[in-house]
Amino acid sequence: MRSIRVSNFGGVDALTLEDIPPPVAGPGEVRIKVHVGGVNFPDLLMSEGKYQHKPEMPFTPGLEAAGVVIDVGEGVTCFKPGERVMGFFDYGAFAEEAVIAEKFLMHVPDGMDWEMAGGFCLTHTTSHAALVHERVNLKAGEVLLVHGAAGGVGTTAVQIGKALGCTVVATAGSDEKAQFALDNGADFAINYTTEEIRTRVKELVGGADVVYDPVSGDAFTQSLRCINFEGRIIIIGFASGTIANAPANYVLVKNISIVGFPVGSYRRISPEILQRSYAGLTEMWDAGHLKPQQSHAFSLADTSEAIKALRDRKAMGKVIIKVRDGE
Amino acid sequence: MRAMRLHGRDGIDAMKLEEVELSVPGPGEAQIAVHAAGVNFGDTLMVTGQYQEKPDLPFSPGMEAAGEVIALGDGVDNIKVGDRVMGSIGFGGFAEEANVPAANLTQVPDDMDWATASAFPVAYGTSHVALTYRSHLKSGEVLLVHGAAGGVGLTAVELGKEMGATVIATAGSDDKVALAKTYGADYGINYSSEDIREKVLEYTGGADVVYDPVGGDAFKASLRCINFEGRIIIIGFASGEVPQIPTNYPLVKCFTVDGFVWGAYHRNKIDVIHDGYAGLREIWAKGVLKPHISKRFPLAETGDAMRFLLARKSTGKVVIETRV
Repeated sequence: MRSIRVSNFGGVDALTLEDIPPPVAGPGEVRIKVHVGGVNFPDLLMSEGKYQHKPEMPFTPGLEAAGVVIDVGEGVTCFKPGERVMGFFDYGAFAEEAVIAEKFLMHVPDGMDWEMAGGFCLTHTTSHAALVHERVNLKAGEVLLVHGAAGGVGTTAVQIGKALGCTVVATAGSDEKAQFALDNGADFAINYTTEEIRTRVKELVGGADVVYDPVSGDAFTQSLRCINFEGRIIIIGFASGTIANAPANYVLVKNISIVGFPVGSYRRISPEILQRSYAGLTEMWDAGHLKPQQSHAFSLADTSEAIKALRDRKAMGKVIIKVRDGE
Repeated sequence: MRAMRLHGRDGIDAMKLEEVELSVPGPGEAQIAVHAAGVNFGDTLMVTGQYQEKPDLPFSPGMEAAGEVIALGDGVDNIKVGDRVMGSIGFGGFAEEANVPAANLTQVPDDMDWATASAFPVAYGTSHVALTYRSHLKSGEVLLVHGAAGGVGLTAVELGKEMGATVIATAGSDDKVALAKTYGADYGINYSSEDIREKVLEYTGGADVVYDPVGGDAFKASLRCINFEGRIIIIGFASGEVPQIPTNYPLVKCFTVDGFVWGAYHRNKIDVIHDGYAGLREIWAKGVLKPHISKRFPLAETGDAMRFLLARKSTGKVVIETRV
């Protein structure tokens, strides 16, 4: 089968497309015929050897995908061949076939197409699990401020925030992206290249109760200045390339919480957190709260280009790999 | 009545003992005959104008007191004349009488003396609400308490044990560590001679909740021995050093940093304060708490009491007895 491979940590340009033997489903595992894979920031970090988790080389990158079950290993009870499934992988999604532990797999809900399913499990789960986690506990009626709201995880945070009954303020780096966030359901949008986040948040809603931050840098620093009493800032990532510092006296005086939410660690240490979100997200989809995302599609051979589109912050919505393109 | 007063925000030395006529209590206020008042770090800031709250001049400092209700303003229904009460009162406690926000007051248990009551609300209230409401400390978790021999630190040690946690106490001398151990700490670390992170990893493998009224190096060490899903509660910066939190740490290690200002809940969520008092009343009734008062001063020596606190020589609480 054809597979993208990482054989050294030379970054995205060192990725290769190779013909390798298909994987085998071990006990508790499911083998799927991949239709669509989703591209995420950790794919970039993994190709550079900068991600916490470093698989043994050579390996197939790719953390999320959707496809059809081919066969199942010993002890698998929830899935059978022919079913449409999607999952959050350890790695290995950018190939024609992939293997995943049953507990990280879910059925594709009725009415969801491959394009959405392929980019669903990591991004939607990250946002859902973070926003409903007990340390954050986003409540209906609260104000949710989403940075990088036109990006992969940001887009899902906007939709899930609305589904949870919140007022959502979105920030993004251009008018086009701000409009995209509004079209995606945000109540307000701020273009932070021309407007000051803190001033606008105060004008629009008075202050934010929860901040969802995959961006950091100045967006984080601005958040500290427009957050409400008992507010929570969720650290998701550092897409701006700058890791912000939080002065501890701000955190104290404003009585706020800085919450780190590494979805990969939760997947490894507390998989039940993911499973709870899989169930919650299926309900949201069935209730019509989650809209299909606009996506940028690339072929399997162009995986490097897909990751670069994400890295260079050119993408709006989700970047996906159509593995079966042309079939 | 006699009161320690300031006519400018000129510091401890400018405070004078004066004869003052107190006005009748305003709406929502209770007039109390102060029997004792706890001394807090915030008092030392308020006398120089460095505290968030800046009372109109002239004023009497003293943010924590216990006494008997002698008159009530309009609209007060949570207490009555003759009640023994205690609470965080904003300012005015270093006097024989004070008009205070009635909503902040709670009843003093029958078997608690005045000095203990005046030292109780801030230290126990802060630690109880911090460990229950704010950080959800669970039985079996590891609680690391910095500044464990100080006013709030000792109460965190006691309440942590009462909640079923394993408690590690840090302090700046062997004597202080020994005191924390007599209050129930399972392990003690003298950070002037031992490495906090190293010892925590050795004793328990890591900490689930860190209670930090110290800041500085103690905070930095906490970042390096906190467990998955751990919580660091920032209470204050007794070390004088305000740390910066590098935000990649909470992300990579999966923990939370919570700021906690107990006083601010009086304005924003008073129910949280009274839920805390209710929880503390139950624990007090068990007879397991040993409020520690390291020194008592008469009203005229309030300045000395503040200087004693600032010198970081005190353990537990310092109290002003207004009627001795």
